[in-house]
Amino acid sequence: MDGSVGPMRVLVTGGSGLVGRAIERVVKEGGGREGEKWIFLSSKEANLVSAQETRAAFEKHRPTHVIHLAAMVGGLYRNMRQNLDFWRNNVHINDNVLNMSHEFGVVKVVSCLSTCVFPDKTTYPIDETMMHNGAPHDSNYGYAYAKRMIDVHNRALFQQYGRKYTAVIPTNMFGAHDNYNIEDGHVMPGLIHKTYLAKKEGKPLQVWGSGRALRQFIYSLDLARLFLWVLREYDEVEPIILSVGEEDELTVKDAVDAVVEAFGFEGEVISIRDAAFKQCFFNSSTNFSFFPAVKETCDWFAANYDTARK
Amino acid sequence: MNGSVGPMRVLVTGGSGLVGRAIERVVKKEGEEREGEEWIFLSSKEANLMSAEETRAAFEKHHPTHVIHLAAMVGGLFRNMRQNLDFWRYNVFINDNVLQAAHEFGVVKVVSCLSTCIFPDKTTYPIDETMIHNGPPHESNFGYAFAKRMIDVQNRAYFQQYGLRYTAVIPTNVFGPHDNFNIDDGHVLPGLIHKTYLAKKEGKPLQVWGSGRALRQFIYSLDLARLFLWVLREYDEVEPIILSGTRDVFDIVFLVGNGKADGQFKKTASNAKLRKYLPDFKFTPFRAAVKETCDWFVANYDAARK
Repeated sequence: MDGSVGPMRVLVTGGSGLVGRAIERVVKEGGGREGEKWIFLSSKEANLVSAQETRAAFEKHRPTHVIHLAAMVGGLYRNMRQNLDFWRNNVHINDNVLNMSHEFGVVKVVSCLSTCVFPDKTTYPIDETMMHNGAPHDSNYGYAYAKRMIDVHNRALFQQYGRKYTAVIPTNMFGAHDNYNIEDGHVMPGLIHKTYLAKKEGKPLQVWGSGRALRQFIYSLDLARLFLWVLREYDEVEPIILSVGEEDELTVKDAVDAVVEAFGFEGEVISIRDAAFKQCFFNSSTNFSFFPAVKETCDWFAANYDTARK
Repeated sequence: MNGSVGPMRVLVTGGSGLVGRAIERVVKKEGEEREGEEWIFLSSKEANLMSAEETRAAFEKHHPTHVIHLAAMVGGLFRNMRQNLDFWRYNVFINDNVLQAAHEFGVVKVVSCLSTCIFPDKTTYPIDETMIHNGPPHESNFGYAFAKRMIDVQNRAYFQQYGLRYTAVIPTNVFGPHDNFNIDDGHVLPGLIHKTYLAKKEGKPLQVWGSGRALRQFIYSLDLARLFLWVLREYDEVEPIILSGTRDVFDIVFLVGNGKADGQFKKTASNAKLRKYLPDFKFTPFRAAVKETCDWFVANYDAARK
């Protein structure tokens, strides 16, 4: 795409997270090209909230390209309590990475947004042009606005300097190396952790909510392959949604069924909606195309339970 | 309002600007200052608020209990169009530095200054305070606009996480003495004032950009200053409040237009919320305010910012 800079030196911020590890694996398994260098940065090496530490990382690695995944993330409940911290820390991280990239002549940055940053009141399906068309959901507006401002920064960089920095917008991700903290409230990793424990302790699986909520899930390895395509080929500044199609939207109950089947869990599954109401899910064996991905993830979790983030 | 901190020590950032000078005049010359209060007018000469360290040093030096935050990187239509990145980044830094220092130093209340130019471009009219985030701003100044909008996001987050009632006002087009009268910047009234002054002095025609049909609500800086004081002392909400004069459509005849941009065609803002709180507030009549401003400009031409 940009032969003038020679082979790419790609710096991946947030390199040790869910998506970073997936990209690392895809690159190792043939996604990387001759002469390319891939550097996976973790927060241990550089605290990107600090401008100085970010600059030091860029000075050390001199990337030509950046995949920017690093962020302060958390599930529903943590966001609700700390909107200020999610706003400020992510604005600092994003400004530091984008600004250093510009200063160091990085040819392209691909940042990572999320469908949770879209307007709360909206028509469906959501598309890329709708991101700024209203306030995000009240539960995580700090995080959501910080992510949206990546798009603002990208457009401003293009307008003032002609740089084509861009972003992707994945839907609900899952895979190995996730953060499986249950309280955080991310759907799939929380489910995986709870089902593992329920099976291990011989207890019922308690699932929050009615199970009727709809989600498009994307496996981290698929997302990683798409990230590489965006890095190499996607030429727009406007972000791009990376998701399975609308026709593959699933309910949370579908996700529960897949995880239950992946673990071979045979106990009771209980939906916690409110204290006065209990509803059982039926164990079905509906054939999902995303089931192999769920199985791989559950197997990984069981094999790596001790060291998995939770 | 908050007797527990004793008399207020008010730090006004951007204190030497259009609004800052108006507040200073209202406080010092028109008797608005109260017993035991201290008012500090900070200018960029004293502290560069884009730097977290310099901001903190200013707060350490002055230890305010209250802040009126006016400092910003501002410019007219044409400069914004060329430098959206700078307007975005620098204003985010300034705002984060001031709000965060205020939080760390236990400031009871911050009143920041937004602008009706940050409202959504595609919208119904009149615009009110609940509509700020309902769509992207005008393309010409999206960097500045988003940076200002994020003051409201940060205010709400301070309230949600710490219970702090930091808030903001949203004035319409401000004018008055001590403005920046730079013609290229494209701020409507100061640019007009400067151009008319020169046209008269040089005996040349007055050339005006645009069609003359764009609609604006103007507010005189001294009226705005009086309202700022009311917001600081009495207005208790986190949600911002629009401060705007009455809706006037100005039937001004322009002699020559040379096709330059109009900017946003209209940005009519609702002052219903203000009127609910202050039904009797009297704005200076537009013509009288313009006359005062022009007289000031003539008297201060050499020193005026332009």
